[in-house]
Amino acid sequence: MFISYSWLNRHVDLAGVSPHDLARDLTLQTAEVEGVEPFAPALADVIVGHVLSREAHPDADKLGITKVNVGSGEPLQIVCGAPNVGPGQLVAVAVIGTNLPDGNGGTFKIKKSKIRGVESMGMICSERELGLGDEHDGIWVLPFAPDDNGHLIGLPVAAALGATEGHYDWVIEIDNKSLTHRPDLWGHRGIAGEVAAILGRDMRPIATELPAHGDAQSVPVHVESKGCSRYIGIAIDGLKNGKAPEWMRHMLLAAGQRPINLLVDISNFVMLDVAQPNHLFDRTELKADGILVRDAREGETMVTLDGEKRTLSTADMLITSGGEAVALAGVMGGEASKIGESTTQMLLEVATFAPAQIRRTSQRLGLRTDSSGRFEKHLDPTLPMKAAAHLVSLLAELQPGISLPSAPSEGGAWTDPACDVRVRPNRVRAVLGLDAELLPNQRMEDMLTSLGFGVSGADTESWTVRVPSARATKDVGLEEDLIEEIGRSYRYDNIPEQRVLAEIAPVPRDERRNLARRIQDRLSGSSAFDEVMTHSFLEGNLCEKLGIAMEPTIRAINPVAEGYERIRRSVVPSLLGLVPNNLQLRGEAYLYEVGKGYLPEVTQGEFQEPTEIHEVGLVLARSGSVSVSVADFANTSLFLLKGTVEDLLYSLERARPGRAGIPGLVWVKPGEGELIPPFAHRGRCMVAFASDAKGNATGPELAFVSAIEPGVGAALGLAGDSVADVAFASVSIDSLLSAPEKPVLHRPIPRFPGVKVDVAFALGEDTLASDAEAIIVQSGKGLVADVQLFDLYQGEKVAKGMKSMAWHVLLQSDTKTLGDKDLHKFLTRVEGGAKRIGGELRKD
Amino acid sequence: METTLQPELHQHLQDAKARIDAATAAEELRAVERDYIDKGGVVAGLLAAITTLPPEQRRDAGQGANILKGAVLKALGDRKAELEAMAIDAARSGHGFDPSLPGTSIRRGSLHPVTRVTRELEDIFSSMGYDILDGPEVEIDVYNFERLNIPGDHPARDMHDTFWCEVNGAERDSNMGLLLRTHTSCVQVRTMERLQPPFRVVVPGRVFRQETVDASHEHTFHQMEGLVVGEGLTVGHLIGTMKTFLREVFQKEIEVRLRPGYFPFVEPGFELDARCPFCATPGAGCRVCKQTGWVELCPCGMVHPAVLQMSGIDTEKYTGFAFGLGLSRLVMLRYEIDDIRHLMGGDTRFLSQF
Repeated sequence: MFISYSWLNRHVDLAGVSPHDLARDLTLQTAEVEGVEPFAPALADVIVGHVLSREAHPDADKLGITKVNVGSGEPLQIVCGAPNVGPGQLVAVAVIGTNLPDGNGGTFKIKKSKIRGVESMGMICSERELGLGDEHDGIWVLPFAPDDNGHLIGLPVAAALGATEGHYDWVIEIDNKSLTHRPDLWGHRGIAGEVAAILGRDMRPIATELPAHGDAQSVPVHVESKGCSRYIGIAIDGLKNGKAPEWMRHMLLAAGQRPINLLVDISNFVMLDVAQPNHLFDRTELKADGILVRDAREGETMVTLDGEKRTLSTADMLITSGGEAVALAGVMGGEASKIGESTTQMLLEVATFAPAQIRRTSQRLGLRTDSSGRFEKHLDPTLPMKAAAHLVSLLAELQPGISLPSAPSEGGAWTDPACDVRVRPNRVRAVLGLDAELLPNQRMEDMLTSLGFGVSGADTESWTVRVPSARATKDVGLEEDLIEEIGRSYRYDNIPEQRVLAEIAPVPRDERRNLARRIQDRLSGSSAFDEVMTHSFLEGNLCEKLGIAMEPTIRAINPVAEGYERIRRSVVPSLLGLVPNNLQLRGEAYLYEVGKGYLPEVTQGEFQEPTEIHEVGLVLARSGSVSVSVADFANTSLFLLKGTVEDLLYSLERARPGRAGIPGLVWVKPGEGELIPPFAHRGRCMVAFASDAKGNATGPELAFVSAIEPGVGAALGLAGDSVADVAFASVSIDSLLSAPEKPVLHRPIPRFPGVKVDVAFALGEDTLASDAEAIIVQSGKGLVADVQLFDLYQGEKVAKGMKSMAWHVLLQSDTKTLGDKDLHKFLTRVEGGAKRIGGELRKD
Repeated sequence: METTLQPELHQHLQDAKARIDAATAAEELRAVERDYIDKGGVVAGLLAAITTLPPEQRRDAGQGANILKGAVLKALGDRKAELEAMAIDAARSGHGFDPSLPGTSIRRGSLHPVTRVTRELEDIFSSMGYDILDGPEVEIDVYNFERLNIPGDHPARDMHDTFWCEVNGAERDSNMGLLLRTHTSCVQVRTMERLQPPFRVVVPGRVFRQETVDASHEHTFHQMEGLVVGEGLTVGHLIGTMKTFLREVFQKEIEVRLRPGYFPFVEPGFELDARCPFCATPGAGCRVCKQTGWVELCPCGMVHPAVLQMSGIDTEKYTGFAFGLGLSRLVMLRYEIDDIRHLMGGDTRFLSQF
């Protein structure tokens, strides 16, 4: 909201208080000031000139040649096209070199020029040229009688008009959010009240009573809607619309409101002054039955004064006359009965409407107005009559000929919200952290009084504080609310800091957070992956490419952009979405994210909350295509990622690194019928389980690792003629939490040297490496300490349908140094074992 | 003794020494050793020839051969030590050394900047005895709004730019309405459901606002909520806590300013500004603080009694304070990141810097 400094000064004397001081004080005690800007800054640059003469231009009928005294030197010759310029006027002159606003946010510089052959040494300005609205009918004749104001000639116009800090007026912008709870501060008088309390100055009074009225028949007013608690209609006669006075137009402009005509401007002025929206009807357009406030009928339509046809529902409230809607209550007036230039008789509406109803109507119609914005803050129902008195009084000042032909009409069942709140001074100090020395009772009482609260029982430990209606509608109703009033008056900033004292107790362990940290440390550390954070929204196109567009998801009703409705079920798809760009830019991507996914189909708890899953997703992608040779398995993204995941699970102590014969993890290929993500490679994916003492899978599934489904890779643009080398994995943190811990256990360092031997098998191509390794381990009868696959071959040197695998084997005993005999026995058994799995020991 | 060597032996010794002195590598010394000392070498030949000598000469000849052997071995040993010393000397040379040649690169990973700052804050609060809690990102109206004293038609809802959600094309009713949490404050309510006062908790996490994205706005960003409930807690404690925390984060004394701020779930409510830690002279103004000398750091306040009561906490006995730190903002301040979109952008050129 924009607040004019001069306007505030109408309500409280601001002498000696600069706009910036005011801004700081308001920020620290009332509401955040977002900016302080001079209003119409050009007025500080143009100077007061006295028009000495005007002669016709020899070559142009519409132009005049003026001589203008600007205080120093010879009078300036200025060519001017305005019809209203004439000798004797005091005017605003932009001399050569002055910068004026160009109307588009920039400025232009006044230069010496020749107009139709006549030299012109500056410009006499209109209000529009100075940033004072749209007036451009002629030059701005300054509101000074020239005879008495010779001393002003040559001064900057702003100074002549009574500048503050060099400018005509200042605009103080207050953050609307910080006024959400203060319906009383949506006008200058409310802000002035705060300023008066801060400065300890008195408010200047304004009219609160209507003048006497005639005894004609009042306009009938009936209120049917529950949403209208008060409706006042006041007939006013003898009007003559026209232009509002300069001071009012300029203040409206400073407050961001464009002047229209006197009557509309006064209506706006009162709203921006005392925060009470009001509406003016041309009374001749209303029907004899007067005003009925009722709920709209479903589908009923009306044309609002912005010319839009609105279709309404029963949730909306209307002001009607003769059965026709004349205003959308609290939001906008109707086109038909709006005030015109020729209006002489009007009905002033000042009302109180239900905040929620106005808010819903304005939201549903997408029609936010100054009026609806104020009503939804919960206005004081005692305000309408005061605001009416203020408006009539302002109007009468400008048009002494007006009259009220009849008594005001009123409808609605309002009650005064003013209330009493118990305040205990000791409680106030206890919450603020102040003692009686810093905040004595008397000071507290003064603070409350200056803000308009009434204090009784101040000599007791429990005061009764009267909350005035303006503060009681929503903001103040509890002791804490008054603690806030006292705290901000004291200034929170002056409250001394205190240390929290508490019992020492260990903070409960959060296993999930611990796991997440360990995952991050391992992956970002020795695994050298980049941690990413991606949006929880999944883009529709990506879902199509990944084949998950039909999966049930929670969807945003109002997404940030079309296509971004889905809330992800899992982290992996987001990561896959990052692969194309990162591959293109860096040639590789080692990414992971610890994040959440949501499964809408499984709900739990009182509020049927969707299930939240916690997982770490990993993606490993390298540019180029994946090797199709099985022998190159170790250099594929899939197996690099498998190794990463194994290392991760060991480091998280959900599995122990294998020792000969007992794998750390059991990796299983999902069966044909098992569900895997559509973007997983059915033929190249695997699931990890912890292994029990016998090497069998045990516990929950710990990880899923897969190559990308080739068609999906192609859809993502990752592959041309060949298949992209992209693999992904997901590790469920929820499963990790339920999986038994397998803490690291020390293994003794061998005391006797071992014997190393290489073993190579020719095997059927479908035989699993793990089966062959089991044979090797069995053959050792407890002596095999380590088995490492070092070669996998398929090609000319082995028969078709066969493959060759070779291992480094370490034989070692706890009790002796092994000899050739042990080695021989081992190899003999291995040879037999190889045959049992349909292979043979290679001796070449 | 050398002088007593027979001329023939003397000649052998001279030859050997010449070769030894000339040797510049271990293999050359080894060759000399082979020729003179090893089986089949000169010394062995001399000793074998003794049996052919008259008995009276045998003793001298034997002695001479042994002297020759000793002298050659000594010369070999000396020269070997000499060569080793020379090699060490040579290794000491810095000739041609270029310290500007690049260090051999290693693959390294990175921790997201939000993670880094979150951990730092978690550690600070942990050290002060705070629990670190978590809460769901897809929330229910009742936690995000209702029980935080923001009922259905409250205009404060406007500030939140809420993403509302549906399942199977069906929006859910009223307080069961699904949404993406607009603040971590929902976890205040969840915490009060679970824990009995006194307690101190912080909750880091992602939050969502339906906002157009640009360099300084993201629809997804990070906050850290703090909630402390206990007996006798005051605004002074809140100020003290925030100051302590800021001292820890910035490792220097930071001036703070508390001013009124409106949030329905606190009363009184504040905005906490910190003296911009980046201004050359404190308060002078700089690019980071948009020339104001202050950076808006976190909304905070004393927990509204209605919020405590809705969670069954006795407001006569307990008071509490809450704060909501802008984590993303702290991250941007800390690393001088000028575009918030980098944080959720997933570009490894950005991420790998951390």
